[in-house]
Amino acid sequence: MLNIKCPYCGDRSQKEFAYGGDGTIIRPELNKDISDEKWDEFVYLRKSPRGKHIELWHHIAGCRQWFKVQRDTVTHEIFKTAKMNEEIK
Amino acid sequence: MTHISPLNFIHKNGKFGDYKEKSENDLLKVSEINKLLIFQIAKFKNSKFDISKIKVDNLNLPSSLKSSSNSNTRILWLGPDNWLVFSSNLDLITKEKKQLSEIDFAITDISHSRTIIELEGDLVDEVLKKGCPLDINSFKIGDCANSVYNGITVTVDFISEDPKKIRIFGLRSFGESLYHSITDACLEFGFVAK
Repeated sequence: MLNIKCPYCGDRSQKEFAYGGDGTIIRPELNKDISDEKWDEFVYLRKSPRGKHIELWHHIAGCRQWFKVQRDTVTHEIFKTAKMNEEIK
Repeated sequence: MTHISPLNFIHKNGKFGDYKEKSENDLLKVSEINKLLIFQIAKFKNSKFDISKIKVDNLNLPSSLKSSSNSNTRILWLGPDNWLVFSSNLDLITKEKKQLSEIDFAITDISHSRTIIELEGDLVDEVLKKGCPLDINSFKIGDCANSVYNGITVTVDFISEDPKKIRIFGLRSFGESLYHSITDACLEFGFVAK
């Protein structure tokens, strides 16, 4: 079980959170032409890195906010969490 | 319209669990709180309204994980720019709708969609620990938190220390399951349902 530090509520149990996938994916700009390939890549293709990874998590049973988590996918160690408008460096 | 409380069919008065040879003061007390006005205040993302200027029933909107209260009304922080107000003053929402502009805030009456269970007694923390992953000891009076209890999303409001008293809010549709979870957890300590 992970302990995740929500940027709004502090340390909470993983039971309160939902995993939201890769946090580095950027949505293609609105109202611009995009090839089917690029759209397919945005919607479906994800890397499965070994090591440090920035993910999205949702504090679904808490403050209901989305935020970023930098986690090691091997050790599950969490290094940093940040609000959606903040950068993790 | 007839008011039917969410726990109307299962909350029965009496003593339950391991209550024999214990004085009533040592038993947990479980009660249902109903007939309150409950509404949610959500400030829109693009609004620049300064919330420190707002008073709801003469109370400030509380900051993260805090509540504010007077004899009629309690306000709980639910998330950023999101508060839950419950009050015995049933006209409060009408007043607040005049004060809070529709351009900046959404005010939603959810009086009929919540169940409220109040727990009182020295062993309240033990009951919470059985189903809720919160670090209970880090919460003080005047705090509140959203969490889960046996998988059911709840809001916990820490009301008083002496006697130890908390309120657990859940969705009405989960009310009976939540009540069973909580009363099951109370059985080993013995409890009085009021």
